[in-house]
This record gives sequence, C-alpha cells and structure tokens, in this order.
Amino acid sequence: MSRLIPVGRALLLLLALDATPALAQQFQYERPVETAPTEKAIGQGYVTPKVQHPRPRAAVWQIVDVALLAVALGVAAWLALWRRQRGGLVAVSVACVAYFGFYREGCVCPIGATQNVAVALVDPAYAVPHYVIAIFVLPLAAALLFGRVFCAGVCPLGAIQELVTLRAVEVPARVDKALGALKWVYLGLAVYYAVLPAVDRDFVICRFDPFVGLFRFTGAAWLLMVGGAFLIAGAFVGRPYCRWLCPYGALLSAFSRYAWRSFSITPHRELDCGLCQGACPYGAIEERRAVRTACFACGRCYRSCPVHHADVKGGLAPALAPSSGAASGEP
Amino acid sequence: MSQEHTRREVLGHAARGAALAGLGGITGLLWMKANATYAWSIDPARCIDSKLGAVGVEVCERCSTECVIALSAVRAVNEFSRCGRCYVCPAYFKITSAVGPDGLPSEKVCPRDAIKREPIGWIDADDPANNFYEYTIDEKLCNGCGRCVLQCKEPAGLGSIVLEVRHNACLDCNRCAIAQACPENAFERLPPVTPRP
Amino acid sequence: MEYRLTRRIGGKGAAPHQFHEALRGVATGGGRVCVVGDAAVKVFSTEGDLLGQWATGLPGESVAVDGERRIWVGQRQRVEVFHPKGGLADTWRDPERLGLVTAIGFGGGDVFLADATARWIRRYDAKGRFRNNIGDRHRKGGFDIPNGVLDFAIDAQGVLHVANPGMHRVERYAADGTLLGHFGRFDGRDPSGFPGCCNPTNVTVDGTGRVIVSEKAGPRVKVYDPAGELVAVVADAAFDAGAKNMDLAVDSEGRIHVVDTVRLELCVFSPSGSEAAA
Repeated sequence: MSRLIPVGRALLLLLALDATPALAQQFQYERPVETAPTEKAIGQGYVTPKVQHPRPRAAVWQIVDVALLAVALGVAAWLALWRRQRGGLVAVSVACVAYFGFYREGCVCPIGATQNVAVALVDPAYAVPHYVIAIFVLPLAAALLFGRVFCAGVCPLGAIQELVTLRAVEVPARVDKALGALKWVYLGLAVYYAVLPAVDRDFVICRFDPFVGLFRFTGAAWLLMVGGAFLIAGAFVGRPYCRWLCPYGALLSAFSRYAWRSFSITPHRELDCGLCQGACPYGAIEERRAVRTACFACGRCYRSCPVHHADVKGGLAPALAPSSGAASGEP
Repeated sequence: MSQEHTRREVLGHAARGAALAGLGGITGLLWMKANATYAWSIDPARCIDSKLGAVGVEVCERCSTECVIALSAVRAVNEFSRCGRCYVCPAYFKITSAVGPDGLPSEKVCPRDAIKREPIGWIDADDPANNFYEYTIDEKLCNGCGRCVLQCKEPAGLGSIVLEVRHNACLDCNRCAIAQACPENAFERLPPVTPRP
Repeated sequence: MEYRLTRRIGGKGAAPHQFHEALRGVATGGGRVCVVGDAAVKVFSTEGDLLGQWATGLPGESVAVDGERRIWVGQRQRVEVFHPKGGLADTWRDPERLGLVTAIGFGGGDVFLADATARWIRRYDAKGRFRNNIGDRHRKGGFDIPNGVLDFAIDAQGVLHVANPGMHRVERYAADGTLLGHFGRFDGRDPSGFPGCCNPTNVTVDGTGRVIVSEKAGPRVKVYDPAGELVAVVADAAFDAGAKNMDLAVDSEGRIHVVDTVRLELCVFSPSGSEAAA
C-alpha cells in the first residue's frame, strides 16, 4: 500500500498538470527569425542587391523575327522570280543562315512549328504564341503565292545543303517520287507523336533534326554524324533532306502546286535544248516543263538558259518567266 | 484550248482560295487561343541539389551537361536576401579541404571559379572573421553544374543558392533535353513572370 | 574521456511523453530535466519518466531552471516563468529589447536573455530592469548567427560563454559586457576546429568549467576544457543528419542532454570510466 502512494501522487500530478494536446497544435513552428543578416546589421549603407530574373526575349524581338522572315521571303521571291538572279539568292541564303541559324540557334523554325500547331489544334489546354503561328503560316502563304521561296533563300537547313551541292546526279523520276513519299510519312509521324496526350507527347522533328547541332556547335554525336552524312551526300545528290524527308516540305510542295506566280517554261519561246533540265540539281524540270512542287527556286536554270541570257541583254520577253497558273508540265 | 485553260485557271484559283482559307482559318483559331510564352522553370523543391531532406547525395550535374546549347541556360542563382553572408561559405570554400595560412580552406567548390567573394558593409580591419561577405555568381562562367547549390542546402548552409533557368539564354525547346534527363522531374513549363516562392 | 548514449527520451509521436512538431530547448535542475517543444513544457526525471507537463502561452524556444527551481521559458518577445510544479508565476516583456529569446542564463542575481532578433544578449536584474547588453562593445550589428539561434551559458564564476557561429568560436564575456577571451577556429578536418559555415550552434558549461558545444551539418557534440582544448567528441553519429541548433544541458552527474531537433527526442550521454567518479 505504501508503495502505491508515490505512484498515486505522480498520477495526481500528471492529471493536474496535463495540458490537452489540442492547445499545442494551434501554433505553427516557423523558421525562427529571418536568419540572413539585415541591411542594418551589415551597415555602411549596404543595400541587398536585387537578384536578376531575366525574362525571355521581349515581344518586340519576336515581332522583329517575324518581320525579318516576311522580308526574307519577299526578297527571295523577288530575286527568284523577277530579277532571276542566283547570286542574290545565295546572298539571302547566307544571311538567313547567319541570323536564323547561328544567331537564333535554329529555334523557332517553321518545320518544328508544325508540331506545335498540330498540338494547339487538338489540345484545348495548349496554345502557341502569336509569333509561332506567324512563323508557321508565312512560308506557306508565300508558297501559295510564289512557290517554295522559303526553301529557296530562307530556310537555314536548306541553305547549307544548297551551298554544298557540287555535282548533282540525276535521280530517276520513279525513285524520286518513291523517296518523296517519305516526307509525308515523316509528317504523319511528327503530327501523331505531337498530338499524343501530354505525358506521351514527343516532338520528334526537334529530336531528330540533323542540322541544328551544326548551328549550335554541340549536340548528340550520332545526330551530328547523320547531319554530316547528309551534307556529304548533298554534294552529289541535291538537297536529299529537303526533297525526301522534310515534313514541312511536304506541306510546302502541296501548297506550291497552286502557286499564283512560280516557275514555268514558256513553250513558245523555249528552244528545247534541255540545258535547264541538265542544270537543275533537284529534278524540278521534267520533259522541259517545270515541276512546281519540287522547284526550290535556286535559279540555276536561269544561268544555263541561252534565251534568258539573250533577254537580259536584249530585253525581250523571257522564256523562263513567272506566269499565273497557266503553267505546263504539272505532275 | 482556251476553255481548258480557263477551267484550269478556275480550278487553280479555287484551290488557291481554299488553301488560303484553310490557312486563314487555322491562323484565326490559334490566334484567339494564343497565350503568353511559357518557359521552362526548375522547381527547387524537387531538384535534388536543392531539395530539403536529401542529405549526403552526390551532385546532379545534368543541368550543365544536357542542355542543347554549348553553355547551359541553367545557372546557379544566389538569392541575396536569404544568404547568410558567412565568413566561411560552404558553397564557396570546400570546407573539408586543408586550412590555409589565413585560416580559410584552401580549395574552392566551383570548378569554374564563378563565385566572387567580397567583404561588404561595415568592415572590421582587425578581424576578417568579424565581417560579412557577399558571394556573387558570375553568370558568364557558371554552367549550372550544381555543386554550390548542393553545398548551400540546409543544414550546411541556408539554401539561398538554387538552380534557375535563365530565360534570356534558354531556347525554350519543345522538348527540353534537361527536362527529359532530370531524375526528379523538376522541370515544368510556367509563365516566366511568376516568381518562385 | 568517453561518453555513451544511455537513453533517448521522447521521440515523435502522440503519447504524452512524445512530441509531434518541434523540440527546442532543454535544461536541468533539481534532479529533473525540463524540455520545451510543441508549445508545452515537459518535465522528466533523469530516468526518463514523465513527471509533468503544461502548456506555454507561445511556442517555447528555450528553457532554464533558476536557483529556486522555477522554470523560465523563452518565447517570441517575452519570457514566461513557471513554478516548479507548473502554474505561471511571471511574464517578462520588453518590446524594444526582446525578440526571439533563444537562451536564458542566471549569474550574480541577474537574468541574462539572448535576443536572436537583434542578436544581443541582454542583462536584467532580478526585478526585470535592463542593465546592459553583452557583445555590443566589440562589433556592430550583433552576433553573427546565420542559424537564427543565439546561445550562451554561464559558469560558476559568472562568466558568459557565448557561441559565435559566424566566427567559429566560443567567446567569454564578463557580466558587464567585457570580452575576456575566446577559443576555437574554423577547421573542416581537425575535430578540434569548427567546420562548415556557422558552428558551434549551441553551448553549455558543466560544474567544472568544461564547455560543451553542439554543431550542425555533420551534427556532433564536443567537450572542451576551460583552456579551449578538445577533451572529447561526445557523439557524431547519434543524431539525424539534418539536425541543427541542438540545445544542450549538463546535469549534476555530468550527463549531457542533447535535443535532436529532427527526431524530436532527447539524447542522454553518460560519461564512462573513472570520469564519473571525479
């Protein structure tokens, strides 16, 4: 019995003093004090420097990019179809490689924008900024008006392939057409992977772009080698990526079919010499007639045409001229 | 012949018109929907270099190695208002290295020497340990390797340095290579103006 | 000299002797161990039995037991004084001088309170009248405490031992604020030095004048002799790796009580060997 008394006292103590746990839970233990030293403590008029959180490029630069794209398209169209000058086109290409390729590091490009537009159309939670819409639509609109002038002087991926074309072999038409179907397959795959739900979504055009690593001087080793292989092949087969793989090129070829003004060979003036067909590295002239969907507006045909040279000197109506719709030799 | 010509012309015009209308439709649809640019951001609560509770981990360098640009768009950023301004900063000095003659560790954490240390405020000329020091990260040198971030994390430091995507350098790729490689899934697309808590 | 972990008191949980949110301070006196956490004071015997508990007005940051065995609890902007069995005896407030009170000490009839907000130690007389600050003669702007806690202890001679983590040393002050000396230096490798950015975080003294400190980031507890030489490393693997600001107390038998702020438990280390008999 005597042993119970201390226990009883302890119990009494507990009961008398025990606070309900609910009281304690009201209080939040936070970080004790502002543990970093204050400006006053550091003294001597010290002011905490503001941490910079730079915003992305200001909207005005995005507008500049779109404007430059529009201007480049216009200038390329003018050079290709009215001035009919290859030298000017090369100059525009080099300028676009420098700006859109090296300076802007190849992003945002219309080829990749295809995926973003596809997603934005399908996914209600996804939207693209205005300038991406513009970058996607402008070359297509230009194709509707003037043919593939984007490929001619603006696209940096095309331009570097264009610049390495040395001696192009002629690819048989059937092979050309068969390979050309590949770009529709690629387009389909790109759109498919882009419109998948967000967790599975994959931007395959961005992932497998073989040339962008050359503009950024860095990238996956295997992809850089593929890019290099395309360029080496491009010395002997004109612009293989553009003709047979580019998914945006598939759209451009479809749109350029109905171009308002584009290349054609005027039947009543041409000499049937075939020099233009030999000069075209891209198989865009078949049976002495222009194939609009394949024409990259490079201007090599002008250089080889004797009538064109005579015209330039003599000022007569040229044999190779932009004409409205009444083009012959459509596929 | 002229009739064929005309029919072809009409068909051509019609096709062109339809294509233009299609383009215009897509443009209109997307234009109404277009929103502000979203950009990639890192959540410091998920990033393993700054995540609380992950003590004793190895530094995760993927932010510096995976970016598609040569100098990664991710940099370490010191939130000055939360920095302790310590005499011996564990993110600046390698605190396990041998102590030099001045009483400070002899080695530094940053492999690219991107952190600058300067005394600030009221200076005690007799005792350098009695002063506050400002630690500034030079963004031209920092490549986002995360070593300083890991050392600054609590409890060793106060956690004022975090890895941040610098939006003026980031290309905002559709498919961010670092986001794919991040083991903690710390990357997400956010409106860039929202300040991180 | 060696120490063994002999007991863990408390822990995380809902039982009366456990804590669920925070554990902040420990003090010994009169054969009992008082801890504050979860806005309550819990009193344990040295064997670890819960003897009593009561709520405090605000979350308690520090605790001390005075000569009359009253329990002083430091809180935000005030100090509450309780009778030994509970029951509020007094409340001290000083709006200009008391921010977060992270340490309390007694010496020569005066009460010393550590204000972690302004980062000074304030000296008051027994009636609560302010007498002087400690530390403001030797620096501007307060002690450098990046961890947010200012801790000190008073030895039998009335000398204050203050942990100065920013300068990696323990400083000794007289009650009027005169700096008497300091020991300690930064060292990331040598155990006798203080590693990291800001160590030691907490300090206490025992009856023989030995100074016991706790550190963070590689949390450990060490014992120094009055001259500043390292005597023992009490423990460097017993705590959660994230624990910091671990409060310390020594009882009359030389046992060291350490608060593990992450696991919310009190670790008791007893000296082994002949030291206990000394």
